[in-house]
Amino acid sequence: MPTLILRRFGFAAFTIAFVSMIMFAAVEALPGNVCTSFLQRLAQGPRLERCIEQQGLDRPAIERYADWASGALKGDFGYSLKKRKPINEVIGERLANTALLGGLATFLAIPLAVFLGIVAGVRRDRPLDLSLSGIAMLAMTIPEFVTATALIYVFAIVLQWFPAVTVMRSGMGFFDMLPNVVLPVLVLSAVLIAHIMRMMRASVIDVMASDYVQMARLKGVPERQIIRRHVVPNAMIPALNVIALTVAWLLAGVVVVEKVFNYPGLGTLMIQAIYDRDLPLVLSVALIFSAIYVAVNLLADLAALMIDPRLRRGGH
Amino acid sequence: MKNSLFLSAAIALASTAASAQTLRIPHELGYGGSESLDPISPQRFYEAIQNMYSRLVRQGDDGRPSPDLALNWETTPDAKEWTFALRPGVTFHNGNTFTAEDVAFSLMRTQSETIQSPTKGVMEIIDRVEVVDDMTVKVVLKQTHADFPLLVMDYRIKMLDAETCGHNLDALCESGNGTGPYKMVELDALGTTTLARFDDYYGGLPGAENLELIAIADQDARVAALQAGQIDFIYALSAEQVPLFANNPNFTVQTVPTGRWIGMIMNTTVAPFDDARVRKAIRMSADRDVLGKLVFGEDNYITNCDHPVWPGDQYRADIACERDIEGAKALLAEAGFADGLTVELFVSDITEGAVRMAEVLQNQAKDAGITIEMVRVPADGFWSDVWMKEPFFATGWSQRPADQVLNEAYSSTSAWNESAWQSEEFDAGLEAARAELDFDKRKELYGDLQRQIWEDGGSFIPVHLKTVRAFSSNLSGIDPVEDFSIRYENLTKEAD
Repeated sequence: MPTLILRRFGFAAFTIAFVSMIMFAAVEALPGNVCTSFLQRLAQGPRLERCIEQQGLDRPAIERYADWASGALKGDFGYSLKKRKPINEVIGERLANTALLGGLATFLAIPLAVFLGIVAGVRRDRPLDLSLSGIAMLAMTIPEFVTATALIYVFAIVLQWFPAVTVMRSGMGFFDMLPNVVLPVLVLSAVLIAHIMRMMRASVIDVMASDYVQMARLKGVPERQIIRRHVVPNAMIPALNVIALTVAWLLAGVVVVEKVFNYPGLGTLMIQAIYDRDLPLVLSVALIFSAIYVAVNLLADLAALMIDPRLRRGGH
Repeated sequence: MKNSLFLSAAIALASTAASAQTLRIPHELGYGGSESLDPISPQRFYEAIQNMYSRLVRQGDDGRPSPDLALNWETTPDAKEWTFALRPGVTFHNGNTFTAEDVAFSLMRTQSETIQSPTKGVMEIIDRVEVVDDMTVKVVLKQTHADFPLLVMDYRIKMLDAETCGHNLDALCESGNGTGPYKMVELDALGTTTLARFDDYYGGLPGAENLELIAIADQDARVAALQAGQIDFIYALSAEQVPLFANNPNFTVQTVPTGRWIGMIMNTTVAPFDDARVRKAIRMSADRDVLGKLVFGEDNYITNCDHPVWPGDQYRADIACERDIEGAKALLAEAGFADGLTVELFVSDITEGAVRMAEVLQNQAKDAGITIEMVRVPADGFWSDVWMKEPFFATGWSQRPADQVLNEAYSSTSAWNESAWQSEEFDAGLEAARAELDFDKRKELYGDLQRQIWEDGGSFIPVHLKTVRAFSSNLSGIDPVEDFSIRYENLTKEAD
């Protein structure tokens, strides 16, 4: 068991290392470099040479990768020329804002989605299930930027209940921030809920049809208890992976949603960095995103190990 | 403490409604939060600086310099020494008096080696600044320049308080202490920057009590914010965004010409572009009006004859450049391309419209027997690897006054002489124009230079762009001038 967990951790670490190499190579392969993208039209002559020297761009790529990777391991992502600040400082607050957005969406969406999925699965093909599944289908097919625009139109422009875009003011506390996150969280959770709910529903229907549930029924176990003791735990196992994947999707969703709502998080930072061709910052944010992605999947793996004793045996 | 979402939302809305005399302007976050309050910093926080500091002269309605902190000026016959009489009784936000010493300080620091200001190249024409008395200053130039006041009309050449800046010519001065209509209350470039009206402003009491500069990096988000009433004003609407505000009584839409342009540049030293007839033939094959409509949309452009001087400039020359396919063919035949000509054009998404413009030119040039093969290159590295390196490439420039842009982009010794144009006649003309003290004669000289570029130059600049902005209809006092010249102190806002 401990070796199994250790192996999972090892694999996660390897994935991140591998991804970081690919990202670094991809940025290397782009035409131009940090200096030409920063200096733009001024990238000529001594000014360019000075910049290349200061940034150490005259050293071989492998050496620079080693530097960057060991820095990132120690939690130091380097310096952003464009922002005139260490990247850590740039990222810090943004990470907290995105965590607030993603965290709220996740904690709102997962329990609700699981609950709705169970209800829909148990009441399969009844009006409640049909309407829930229909709404979920709709939420899955409409892209989040459309949902966002529609919500802005209704709740910000027509009704004026919530702000259309986030306007940051200094000294904003948690409660000042809340009106700003309502609409983005709604958009993000709509998609999360839809995906997780549909998976949970399918999974519940599968388990309900299984032999051991039939057996329990025949033994005369009350329906409520069957659902609680037998259906839900078993249905959770396949759903966990979908939850992990969906939460990982959240990272991409956050980029779009933050941009639409002008929300000061990692997503808008990423877009800005790409727009500014601030390559070190792009690399750092991408690395953070991939680390979160891997971590969420690792968590799902570990949770599955906990729930499902079968996985703990065998050399899987 | 119980605090519901709706309650805090209601509080947020109530607080914006109460501050009706606050003008809320979006800030595009061009420098991603590292915005500087020093007007000559490469990362200048333009929206704040425009309201906090003043210039010696500002642009008048006719495009010519008109008094601001300088009341009048005169020069010696060789146009090398300029004496400015300053406005008396002007104070900085901290109460210090504005004097000639501040002018000398503010002008000389633009040349600093350590600051490396983008204004350095132009302002290096100044040899020294002499303080004649408290209210008189004499600027001595290294060379003749009959339009020196135009140079200090640049939106970055603002007057700072020498004392506040510690008389240090080589350090950025980000105090924000100026003589402008608004003073800094709180700088928060990533969030909301607040300015308050300066009661002792020499131009009279500004219209709105407060000014808020609200960071919104994305244009679509700015549009939503204006629709939802979170801001009062928006710059640079795209053609698709205009209808959102055009027929809505809550908003006013304003279209104004600017000096921005996108162009295609031919290197005049590389075959076949080393033949002036080839360059002219390519230019003659274009229908500028059709091109402008296709690329930028009806009413969003002003046609132009391939020189960089914009329609609002006092020195703009009237040149006709109708499409002339027969003429183009004749020129090509003369140059030895009777059977047609094939050239490569390097373009990239460096700025909106560049690729579309190349496509339209490609189609129009076909009629004259010119085959343009488009080479799409990535925007990454465009300015270092393609621009001024390939023989035929796209470019884009922001607004500059005639003399400045003619010098920067066409004089044979300039670092940004994009078309590698070497014309002694042109260089001599530029110098003559700078030395000519009579306005009408100077206008004639600058006009000749524009005609030379149209006849012989290596540029294709079919249009200058207009800009469209929208604002809430309870705002008044926004002059139909380009963004740099808007005077926010004249804006007033009615309560809702």
